[in-house]
Amino acid sequence: MQSAAELKIWPVVRAVPNARVFGAIVLLCIVASAAFASWLPLQVSILTVFLFAGPHNWFELRYFLMRLPVRFGRSRNFFLTAFAGLGVLTLTYVSLPLLYRTALWSEEAWSTVIASWNSLFLFWLLLLIWLRGKRKARASWTWTIPVGLALCSLNWLSPDLFSLAIVYVHPLVALWFLDRHLSRTRPEWLRVYRRCLCVLPFVLIVMVWRLSQASPLPDSNGLFWRITQHSGAEVLPQVSSHLLVSVHLFLEMLHYFVWIVALPLIARAAMKRFWDVKTVPVARHAKGFPRLVAGLLVLALAAVVLLWLSFSIDYSTTRDVYFTIAIAHVLAEAPFLLRMI
Amino acid sequence: MKSLLFACCVVLVTLVLTQTVNADLPVTRTSDQKISRPAPSEGGRYVLHTSLEIVPDPKAYEAKLQITESDLKNFRAALDGTQGNTTIAAITHSPTRTIIAGLLMFLSVSIGGVLFARSSSSGRTQKIAGAVILVVAVVGAAAIITRGNAGPPGSYRWRNLPQALAEGKATAGGLDIEVIPDDARTGANMRLIIPLKKQNSPGEE
Repeated sequence: MQSAAELKIWPVVRAVPNARVFGAIVLLCIVASAAFASWLPLQVSILTVFLFAGPHNWFELRYFLMRLPVRFGRSRNFFLTAFAGLGVLTLTYVSLPLLYRTALWSEEAWSTVIASWNSLFLFWLLLLIWLRGKRKARASWTWTIPVGLALCSLNWLSPDLFSLAIVYVHPLVALWFLDRHLSRTRPEWLRVYRRCLCVLPFVLIVMVWRLSQASPLPDSNGLFWRITQHSGAEVLPQVSSHLLVSVHLFLEMLHYFVWIVALPLIARAAMKRFWDVKTVPVARHAKGFPRLVAGLLVLALAAVVLLWLSFSIDYSTTRDVYFTIAIAHVLAEAPFLLRMI
Repeated sequence: MKSLLFACCVVLVTLVLTQTVNADLPVTRTSDQKISRPAPSEGGRYVLHTSLEIVPDPKAYEAKLQITESDLKNFRAALDGTQGNTTIAAITHSPTRTIIAGLLMFLSVSIGGVLFARSSSSGRTQKIAGAVILVVAVVGAAAIITRGNAGPPGSYRWRNLPQALAEGKATAGGLDIEVIPDDARTGANMRLIIPLKKQNSPGEE
C-alpha cells in the first residue's frame, strides 16, 4: 500500500544555474504566442489545434499517471470521488449535444440544462476540495464553500457566460500545474517563473487594447464560424470576435507549451524517457500495473494518430468532436492539481 | 488572507446583486405619469435601449441614420430572441433560474458570514476586510438608490432640441428602439418620437 508520503516522491533535479534562460524562454513564449494569436488568429488556431491538441492530451495523461499512487490508501475516497465524477460529468457533457438534437428544447430549458451541468461540476469540485482539505492539517479550505456557492449562483444567472469562463480559465490551470511542479523540482526557478507570469496580465491588456476595435473575423465558412463560436462570439456579440479568438488562442498556446514543452523538459529524470513505461511509478512498482499503463499509453498514442487523420479528412467535424470529448482532460486536471496544492 | 478572500467575495456578490436589483427595477411610477416610461405601443415591443444624437448638417443631401456595429448586433440578437448584450435583462425573464441563483447566493453569503464570524483571527486583516465590506455595502446601496431613482426622465435631455436645431447644434439623449407591426406604421417606415414637452410662455397657463 502506498502512503501519502510516497506520493510526494518526485525526481528532484539538482539546482541548475540557468533560471534566467528559463525565464527568457517563458517570456519569449508568452510574447510570441500573443503576437501570432493577434496576427493570424484563425489560421494559427487551425494549425495549433491540429498539431498540438492530441499530443498535449497524451502528455497530460502520462503526467497524471506519474502522479497516480499504486494504492490509494487514505486517499481512497478522494480518488473514488474524482474518478466517479470524472466519468459521470464527461458522459453527461458528451451526451448534451445528442440530447439537444433528439429533443426540442426551448432556450430557457436548455439554459437550465447547462446550468445544472455546471452546478454538478462545481459541487464535484467542492467535494474534492473538502476531501482534500480534510487531509491538510494546517490549511483550512472552508472558505471555498461560500466561494463555490457564489460561483454556482453566478452560473445560474448566466450559464452561457459561465461555460465560456471555463473555456478561458482552463488553459490557465496548466500554468498553475507548472508553478506547483517547479516548487517541487526546481524551486530556484519559481521566483523567475512567477515574475514572468506577472507579464501575462499586461500582455492581455495590450491585446484587449489593440484588438477591441478590430473588425470582426470572417465567419463565412463553417470552420471559421465554429472557431469564433468556440471563443464566445455568440455569447458576447458586443466584443470583437478577433479579440475573443486571439485571447483564447493565446491562452491555448500557453497551455500547449506547458504540457508539451515545459513540464517534460523540467522533469528530466522521469520525463526524458517519456516512452519508457518503467519511468511511471504506478508501472514500476512491484505491485503496480505495467501492462495496464503501457496499454493506456499506446491506446492514447493511437488516439492521437487517429485525431490527426480525422483532422486531415474533416477538420471542422473533428474539431467539434475533439472539443466535446476534451472535457475529460479539463475535469481530470482538478483532482491532480488539488493533490499538488 | 482568508478574510481578504472573503471580502473579495462580498465585493463580487454585492456587484452582482446591484446589477440584479437594477435589472429587476419596475417601471418608474411617479405622481406625474407623463414622465414615466410608457408601455410599448399596441403590438410593439421594446428590443433595445441605446442613445441617439441628432446632428443638423447643412451640407448633407439626405437624412442619414448611423448605427454602431455593436448596436446592430444587439438589435439582431434581440430580434432573434437570443441573449445578445441583454444578459441581465434575460435573467428577469427566467424566474426559475433567478430563484435558484438567489438561493445559492443567500447560502453563499450566509455560510461565508458564519465562517467569517467564527474565524478566531481578529487582527488587522479582518479589520481591513470589514472596512472593505462596509465601503462596498455603502457604494452598493448608493448605486441601487441612484439607479432606483433612475435620474431625470428621458425627456429632460431632449428639452432643448428645438433651440439646438435652430442654432445648428447637436443634441444627444436616450432612445428606446421599438419594433412595431407593419400595419401600425403611419406613412414612413421609421418614425422618431421625441419626448418634447410643450413649454408654456410666461404668463400662459
